[in-house]
Amino acid sequence: MTRRARILIVVTLSLSGVVSVSGAGEIPDRPEKLVFKPLEYTPPAVGDARFQLTNGIPVFAVEDRQLPLITLTMLIRGGRLLEPTGKEGVAALTGAAWRKGGAGDLDARAFDEKLDFLAAELSTTFEDLTGTVRLNVLSKDFDQALALLVDLVQRPRFQEDRFALEKTDQIQLLKKRNDDSFEIQRREINRLWWGDEYWRNRLPTQASIEAITAADCRAFLALQLGADNVTLALAGDFNRQEMEQKLNGAFGSLARLASPVLRPPRPEHAPVPGVYMVDKPDFNQGGVVIGHPSVEEGHPDELALRVLQEIYGMGGTSRLYLRIRAAEGLAYSAYSRFTLPLGGMPGAFVISFQSKSSTCIRATQIAREELKRIREELVSDEELKRAKASLIETLPDSFESPEVTAKLFAQGELLGRPAEYWSSYAEKVRAVTAEEVLKAAAAHMKPETLVFLYVGNTADIRGGHPDHAGAIEDFGPITMVPLRDPLTLAEPAATSAAH
Amino acid sequence: MRTRLRFVAAAGLLWLLASAPAVPAQEAKLAVEEHTLKNGMHFLFVERHQTPTVSGGWAAHVGSANETYGQTGIAHLFEHMMFKGTTTVNTKDFAKERPIMEKLDAVRAELAAEYEKVRAAKRLGEFEGEIYDPEKETPRIKELRAQLKKLQDEQSALVVKEEWDGIYEGQGSSSKNAFTTNDVTVYIVKIPANKLELWFWMESERLRDAVLREFYAERDVVREERRMRVESDPTAAYDEQFEAMFWTATPYHHPVIGWPADVESISREQGEAFFSTYYAPNNLTGVLVGDFDPKIARELAEKYFGRLPRGQKVPPVIVTEEIEQLAERRMAAAADTNPKVFVRWRTVPAIHKDSGAFKVAAGLLQGRAGRLYKSLVEEQGIATGEPGASAGWPQRLGGYMELDAELAEGHGHAEIEAALLAEIERLRTVAVGEQELQRVKNQTLADSYRRLEDSFYLMIQLAYFAGLGDWRLLETSTSRVLAVTAEDVLRVAAAYLTPERKNVLWYSRKAGAPEDPELAGLDARGKGFVKQALAQLEAIADATQLAKAVEELRSMGQQVPAEMKPAVDIAVRRGEERLKKLQAATSSEEAKQ
Repeated sequence: MTRRARILIVVTLSLSGVVSVSGAGEIPDRPEKLVFKPLEYTPPAVGDARFQLTNGIPVFAVEDRQLPLITLTMLIRGGRLLEPTGKEGVAALTGAAWRKGGAGDLDARAFDEKLDFLAAELSTTFEDLTGTVRLNVLSKDFDQALALLVDLVQRPRFQEDRFALEKTDQIQLLKKRNDDSFEIQRREINRLWWGDEYWRNRLPTQASIEAITAADCRAFLALQLGADNVTLALAGDFNRQEMEQKLNGAFGSLARLASPVLRPPRPEHAPVPGVYMVDKPDFNQGGVVIGHPSVEEGHPDELALRVLQEIYGMGGTSRLYLRIRAAEGLAYSAYSRFTLPLGGMPGAFVISFQSKSSTCIRATQIAREELKRIREELVSDEELKRAKASLIETLPDSFESPEVTAKLFAQGELLGRPAEYWSSYAEKVRAVTAEEVLKAAAAHMKPETLVFLYVGNTADIRGGHPDHAGAIEDFGPITMVPLRDPLTLAEPAATSAAH
Repeated sequence: MRTRLRFVAAAGLLWLLASAPAVPAQEAKLAVEEHTLKNGMHFLFVERHQTPTVSGGWAAHVGSANETYGQTGIAHLFEHMMFKGTTTVNTKDFAKERPIMEKLDAVRAELAAEYEKVRAAKRLGEFEGEIYDPEKETPRIKELRAQLKKLQDEQSALVVKEEWDGIYEGQGSSSKNAFTTNDVTVYIVKIPANKLELWFWMESERLRDAVLREFYAERDVVREERRMRVESDPTAAYDEQFEAMFWTATPYHHPVIGWPADVESISREQGEAFFSTYYAPNNLTGVLVGDFDPKIARELAEKYFGRLPRGQKVPPVIVTEEIEQLAERRMAAAADTNPKVFVRWRTVPAIHKDSGAFKVAAGLLQGRAGRLYKSLVEEQGIATGEPGASAGWPQRLGGYMELDAELAEGHGHAEIEAALLAEIERLRTVAVGEQELQRVKNQTLADSYRRLEDSFYLMIQLAYFAGLGDWRLLETSTSRVLAVTAEDVLRVAAAYLTPERKNVLWYSRKAGAPEDPELAGLDARGKGFVKQALAQLEAIADATQLAKAVEELRSMGQQVPAEMKPAVDIAVRRGEERLKKLQAATSSEEAKQ
């Protein structure tokens, strides 16, 4: 398809081969007058990349010999979901300590130095629902680095002195919890949406981190490191046949889990709509998050929602951006989207912006006005066309490199995305109508259940702006959310609900 | 004129000679095709056909370092203006917009004159606070602001908001953005391969037919950007002042986003002058990486960018040279952040022949296999996390070397600083061993491939390096490192990383709720003064020096205005208390011996 893409432009060459400089007349005054061939793009097929190891581990391999590098990623299902009560933080701590604690016959320093001398990048991390082990190395050194990776997976050491250091580091990180507006916003909006009891909101404290031992980290790994619970993504400069052999040698003996990782439980909490405010008097800008729980990827309305969010709140031509930033200059960034997660996490509809304290109310009013409009009126043909073009023609970005492609496939299989998802994506987007967008907006944007969270100088935010009428109470009853202690997450003694 | 270059990591050969395993490293083949138009605009093309996209960008060889006093921030403000369209894009009727824009300029000029009156009043002490504070506007300023607003609303009715962006997005482009640095301004976008000509149309049109519409409204967006990036960030406002302290004469002294008062006062006329000087084709480099035919790209470049007239004047060169730093400089800040120490020295421009030696020096120190982690974290246990060492972001006029470490519980700033400096002393005096040097070189070689992996990132690097003066930095920044010897590291460390040329920044965590009761009666200025004074006193570990500092404070107390006197008195009293403790500690030390 690249051939076709290349020959569409008419080149003005004279017979002698001298470039004839075109007159300005040949250049149209408007870009709509340029003519393009359609982009015929078929995303790479999952099936072409997939093979299985003898013990069933799926591998997604995307070969590309351009640069002498190989990236191998192991994706694991589990993550913070599997943290036992009282050991909150074990996922992050395992991620930090696993790679740094040595493996096999090598102590931590020797392991570091060997990887470092090979100039290999090896990292381990855990997130809410997944864990990742990633190796990137020059292809000539791949075998040596793979041996280290295998040791790490099968014979981690969690060396004691390193482990103690990593624990201290994790506690240091907790101290920063209230420093940054975005971190406060993220933490508090999740609590408001899904409640303190929901697994994602069980957060580490100094006490829970101090309670974790290296044995806890090993046990945490044992819950998820099994042949039936991981996928591999391989990209770069390799030969597939050789690699099948190597990977079977490396991971073919990995056993299945004693008991499978279950899908995460649903939140039971019902959010209480209204205005919530966190006071950070030093911030002269309000951080605002507005939203409510919503659906996941795979919902029948998913593609309509993707089109809808393009028009309402994504990118530089969305209604939200046009009014909040472009027309009124109230914010540098303003966006809205449906999170549409995979793998059993609840989704959310979210609007987010940062505005100077005095105009947070105004910007919120605009977001609400636009919400009302998009739930009641059909979107214009122009908007619909632009949103669909943007979704379809940016599809190649999702496969922009071998590593990205292989990882996308590996993740999809691990979290339950259907194999045909990408091949039918463009067609499904094309089929979305303005009526479906309207229906999706009415069904999935629920103004009456919105939670409004403001982080900043709350007195100034409530004070509003002389040029704009309206009060924050218009959005619902106000609850002051105290900033919790960063190390214990305890609320300060005097918790107050304001008038 | 065009040349076809083959970019080969020939450095790989050197590496082979020096390393044990005799497996040949494959050569990275990056063919960069160059093309220069008659008007001086330069182009770089790199073909990559894995996915049907093209990463397109261009660099204006101008950044905030080219700005003059009173116009700081103009390069960045201008970056925003480049998204405001042309006489045919972003407008319903440009003929009607033009007279409004002229009226706007006239009102702006009157407003500028009014603000000069406010400035004069401030110098006399008859006006307090920020002169652009909306709550302190004079009646005349209010009136002019209202006129301005009315005109802006009139123009708004004629403007098609963000149409320029909309055209790109409707055609499946993504990652459209721009950034401004000290040296370079870069405009970037990713487009579907079938829309290559759209890139040429859009980018050449906004240069050929730029309309600086909404010039005065855009500063509101910039002000919000400053609030987000600088003022609402726990440490960015302090970092900004540290930069200003660090660069004395080099125009990196002022922030890219500009000093707030300058940004408020830049006029459209100044904007036009800036544009015609720095955005002429002879000061630009275009870059395409991706799925296209360079032959066709050349034709399109001639056709579209060939229309731009060469600039009438040559952009002025920056003649200011940094002056020698005569004494160490220190800043102690209390902020919402974990306690940290930074130490920084000025080094060399990115293209300098010694730049590789500094990268090696930083490479020896940083990372978990590096010297700082071993010494400060593993052996002494005085720092947490991974202490950092960096040879700095590549820049045109000068670079820096920076170390940083976060304090472990129960350890002090002075202790960490001393430990960091001990590692610098080692660099200055002990030659690095073969194995350790090779480790850093191996990393650099692997990184030289890694940086080529992503096409969009590759485009950005080429544009940025071209803006610094030579895109081949992509190659030489690797080969320079691979050529570094142990003697080179000794030499540059001894010459540049000297005690009197260091710049030190201490962060301590800002105290929470229970305020120092003694400070309760002071106003904000007084409190600020005491906190800063105390931080400085805390930094002095030697009793004699402390006594001198306290004495200086005391004599300062005689000279300050009456309302500041209580603040100075508190600082003096605290200084005396600390002095007593220090003397007691010293004498008991002496007694032991």
